[in-house]
Order: sequence, then structure tokens, then C-alpha cells
Amino acid sequence: MNRRLPPAFALMALPLLAILVLGFLPLMVVVVWSVWTWDPLTYWIRPDFNLGSYAAILEAGRWMVIVSTLGKALLTALICLLIGWPTAYAVHFLAGRRLSLILLALMTVPFFTSYLIRSFSWRLVLGRTGVVNDLLIHLGLLSAPLDWLLFSNFAVLVGLVASCLPFATFPLLLSMRRVDPVLLVAAEDLGAGFWTRLSTIVVPLTMPGIFAGFLFVFVMVVGSSTEVQMLGGAGASIVSVMINDVMRVANYPLAFAISSVVLLVIFSVVLAGNARFGLARLFGEGQS
Amino acid sequence: MMRGEGTLSRALIWTITCLGLAVIYAPPLYLLGVSFNPALQPALPHVADVTLKWYLALAGEKQLIAALEQSLLIAAATAFAATLLSLMAALAYVELHARRAAWFLTVLLPMFVPGVIQGLALSAVFQRAGVKAGLLTVIGGHLLWALPFAFIVILTSFGVVRRSYLMAAADLGANRWQQFRDVTLPLIRPGLVSAFIFSFLLSLNEFTRAFYLAGRQNTLPVVLFGKMNSGASPTIYAMSGAIFLLSVFCVGLVLANVLLKRRQPA
Repeated sequence: MNRRLPPAFALMALPLLAILVLGFLPLMVVVVWSVWTWDPLTYWIRPDFNLGSYAAILEAGRWMVIVSTLGKALLTALICLLIGWPTAYAVHFLAGRRLSLILLALMTVPFFTSYLIRSFSWRLVLGRTGVVNDLLIHLGLLSAPLDWLLFSNFAVLVGLVASCLPFATFPLLLSMRRVDPVLLVAAEDLGAGFWTRLSTIVVPLTMPGIFAGFLFVFVMVVGSSTEVQMLGGAGASIVSVMINDVMRVANYPLAFAISSVVLLVIFSVVLAGNARFGLARLFGEGQS
Repeated sequence: MMRGEGTLSRALIWTITCLGLAVIYAPPLYLLGVSFNPALQPALPHVADVTLKWYLALAGEKQLIAALEQSLLIAAATAFAATLLSLMAALAYVELHARRAAWFLTVLLPMFVPGVIQGLALSAVFQRAGVKAGLLTVIGGHLLWALPFAFIVILTSFGVVRRSYLMAAADLGANRWQQFRDVTLPLIRPGLVSAFIFSFLLSLNEFTRAFYLAGRQNTLPVVLFGKMNSGASPTIYAMSGAIFLLSVFCVGLVLANVLLKRRQPA
């Protein structure tokens, strides 16, 4: 066996090729086709330069869908951080070794279960005859079931939080590991109370995790469609669903114009965040 | 560190933690419970009524079974390719020095592209290139989706590979291939297994990309999505329950594997 391990650039070749062909090339197509012309008579596209698709984003309330998507993303990300941060804190600082392992396992599982099934299961919980309504009526708090629990913005928000929560918790957990416990003991010895220690030590030191968690959830929601399709009310929309709708008439230029705008937002946020906090540092733990 | 912690604050933090877990787990677990209920109306069964009849009825769902076979095939191929490619990517990351942050970001970026956009754009590329929609196109889409996750998992497992081990091996005359085969590979094997299973599950459960990339033979989530929207039935609950259980089981297997390996003295 006198074979040698190939140098870095040779190892990079195959993954890079896959990323370029499967990831980068399609994105180029998105940008290029977004300025092509779509003929509504034949449902066909021509390679003639045309900014009409971008103008069409401003019509028919499409820009409103983009704005409301960003709003949903922002709100979901904030809620996920509000739940995820204490969770990460509990796992890392409060739980014993065995319990923290169990919690860690519980937080890993949702990444790899079907988000389709998880969204769908909320229908059984929030519906007119669902668990929540049944319980409230049973307890005598309601006389008739609440209608706005399902097929509403509320249901979409709940579904989104449930889907995205692990994406917030994980980076938070990684960043908690980088907090030196000695600092907390020192602060306590100097008389700092629980909340003082949190706000002056743990929160500032976990900022990279807070940002990464925010980023992941924000991006997930901007790209989500299942939650709206499963739980949203009539006419509820989100960018991905709107793209789906536009594609019913094979209007590639408009679908790709919307996509370009969305990708621009996502990549700006990701790159700005990466420049500020260095995502690699968060995951590259144990690397020399 | 535990001394003098505000009991109230800790209780609050634990309450929020439980709330988060409930939000994630309560609905699918309820669905799982419902799938054992003999009645057509969704409700939790009484212990005496628990039945597997909807699971047995799955065997008769030709469309679901065909879609499941397709999905398993795609997931296996995706997992194999994703593990191999992300192993290469991780090895390259370790070798790289100055440019490693850029390489990390390159591998990670596909994760941030929304599924609808990725699926639609890739299907447009395949169409123009004359590749017919089918198994291979879905595998292509899923490979890109699973790659960043597999990469992170494998990269994390590289944490146990100390540079001193490799240097010692080199001093003993091992070339770089031998260092990889005899030192690195055994150490990161749990990471490779985890990456394979995780990629498998990511592909098995992926829906939006497959929606655009699958040809006439749909994958399981695509068929499920159609059925979920055309009126729920107990067999849908059973199918969902079965997939959920399978996923949980696989992840449990991986975690147990990783934790057991870690406990063994190095």
C-alpha cells in the first residue's frame, strides 16, 4: 500500500463539483431567467432581457407576501430564541450529566423526523374537535370551540416555532459550552445574583450562538411552505407558496424574480452574520 | 455553582424548557396515539382498544408502498454519496489552513437555499440538460440538502483526532494514506455512521425538493402530502406514525452508538 492521500485541493474537487453543479449553477439559472421574458399566451419563456418580472412583484400584493414572510421569520426567530436560550441554559448549566444527555438526544431527534408529519399533527391538536378545544370545553372554560386555532396565522406561527426550535437551540448550546464556568463562580463570589450573572456574563458570551440561532430560524421560515400549506387559513401565503402558485402557469421569470429577491435577503443576512460572528468557529470546536 | 441559585428563576427556566419540548413532541406523539385507535374519528384509544389494524392496512396501500420503496432507494443512495463527499470535504477542511473558513461556508451555504427555490431551479437545469425527472434528479437535490449536515457531523467527529497521533504515525513511517486508514478512519467511524444515517433520514423525510424533482414515480412524502390534503384517514396516521417511529429509532441508535464509543477509554 504505497498510495498517498491526495492533497487538499484534490479532496475538495468532488464535493466542490457537486456544490457547483447542484447548487451554484441552478442559482445562476434563477438569476438569469428572472430577467427573461414570459409569454402568457404560450406559457413559454424567451431569452429576451426584460425587467417586467421584477415590476410584477410590486403587483397583486406580491410584495406584501414578501414583507409578511420576513415578518413571520422575524417573529418566529424571536420566539424560538426566547424558548431556546433557557433550554440551552438548562441543558448546559442546570441539568446533571445523565439528564443533559437525555435532553440533548431529545433535541437532536426533531432534526431528522419529517416536518411534514410534525406540521400535520398540529391539525389534530388545534382543530375544532382537537385536543386543545376539547380540553378547554371539558374544563368549562369555553362553551363552543375556538375557530381561530387552526387554519390561521396563529396555527402557522405555532407550527413554524415547533419546526424551527431545534435550529435555534443547537447553536445556542454550542455557544454555552464556550462559557468558562469559572467566570460564573467568580461573579457569584463577588455577590452577583442569578439575573446579573445571566445578563452580564452568559448572554454576552453566547451572542454568537444567539445570532446563529436567529439566522437559522429566520432562513428556515423564509424558505418554509409546509406549515402554511398545512395550517394556514384560506388565502394564507408565504414566499415559497407564492412561488408554487406562480409556477402553475410555468411563469419561470416571475418565480425566479421572487426567488432572487429572497435569496438576496437570505445571503446578505448569512454573510453579514458570518463576517460578524464566524459561523465556522461555533461548529469547528476541537479543531486546532 | 448550584449554591444560592434563585429557585424561582430555575423553575422558570425549566418550565420554558418543558414548554419547548412539549411544542416539539406533543403533537406527533398524539398522532402516534391516534394511529392505534380503532375508530375513524381521531382520538386517543382506551388501553383496551389499542389496535394495529391501520398499520396492517398499510400493506394494502399500493401507492404508498411503491412510494416508500422509491424513497428508501433514494435515501440510501443519497446517504452513501453525502457521507463520501462530506468525508472528503471534512478532510480538505482539516488540511486547509488559511482558507478553511471560506471552504466551511461554501459547503454550508446550500443549507440556506429554500427548498422550493432549490428544487425548482434544479429541475429547470435538469430539463434544459435533457435529464429526465426521476430517481437520479431527486438524489441530486437531496445530496445537496444532506451534504452540509453530514459535513458538520463528520467535522465534529474529527475533534478526537489529535494532531499528535498523526505526527506519531508519521514518525513511525506511515505515509498520509496510512495515517488516514489506520489512525483517522477508526477514530471518526462513529461520525461516518452518524452522517450516513442522518443523511438517510433527511432524504427520506424531504418533501419540497422532491416535489419538483420527482418524475411520475413520487416519493413517500410527496404522496403523503397529497393524501393529507385530500382528507385525513387512519392509514395516513399509521403511515405517519410508522415513519416517525422509524426516524426516532434510527436517531436513538446513532446517539447510543456515539455515546457508547465516547465512554470507552481511548
